[in-house]
Amino acid sequence: MTKRLKPAERRASIIAVAKVLFADSGYHGVSVDEIAKRLGVSPAVLYQHFDSKEQLYIAVLDEIAGQRESYIEAALSGPDDFGSVLLRMAHVYSDSIERDPDYLKMEMHSVLEGAKSTQLLFESRWKSFSDYIEVSMVELASEGIVNQTNPYSASLMFQGLMRELLYAKCIYFSEKYKDIPLKTLVNQQVHLFLNAVEYKHPD
Amino acid sequence: MRNFDIELDARGLNCPLPILRAKKSINDLTDGQIIKILATDPAAINDFTSFCKQTGNELLESQEQNGEFMFTIKKSARA
Repeated sequence: MTKRLKPAERRASIIAVAKVLFADSGYHGVSVDEIAKRLGVSPAVLYQHFDSKEQLYIAVLDEIAGQRESYIEAALSGPDDFGSVLLRMAHVYSDSIERDPDYLKMEMHSVLEGAKSTQLLFESRWKSFSDYIEVSMVELASEGIVNQTNPYSASLMFQGLMRELLYAKCIYFSEKYKDIPLKTLVNQQVHLFLNAVEYKHPD
Repeated sequence: MRNFDIELDARGLNCPLPILRAKKSINDLTDGQIIKILATDPAAINDFTSFCKQTGNELLESQEQNGEFMFTIKKSARA
């Protein structure tokens, strides 16, 4: 017999299960019946909490978007030059994805499916990096600490380096990288990025 | 609204930039001086509360109106 949960607990459990299924198969690859079956309840129970599958999908995206990493420690726990802070931020982010790669899977699916909430994911999870890189690149270029790479291109380059690494390491578990710790790979990607923008580390 | 010595506009920016900017601005203050910070990052309240706990500066005010946050922080001698 299914345990009777309070409405908030039931809603949270639906979102948790739906997240795993949507992350694996995308919006179109999962039916309400399947989610209900996995939860051990009837589809009617799901419809008590969400009007439609789309509304449930948006709730899952909102939930993921709301789990943004805190970069306070990254900002305050060591040298505050651009390269050092960026490296610590990259570690915070990659650790978070390693613990819960469903977020990246959802991001991939939602981009392909054109979900309206996709923007939310980018705003919440990548904006810390794009803001930090774009604003810093302008300031540092004027001081000759980085080259004149377009700040938006620099930001995209960094996101690409990180995203590809995390796909390979945390989503499709590429054989090539399986014996190299994620931390080491992140260090290498950040190093590559800093080299590309000709970052001059303060001595 | 309290008086303040300098103002930092971090609207439109996500953490860690507002925090790094605040840290840099507070470094230029003398003990007891006050900085006013404007921000729009939804995580700003948690971020600036943690920032003050970690740095020892005093969070005097924290307000939110229509998605915009305003903080006043006093530089503390132990910060």
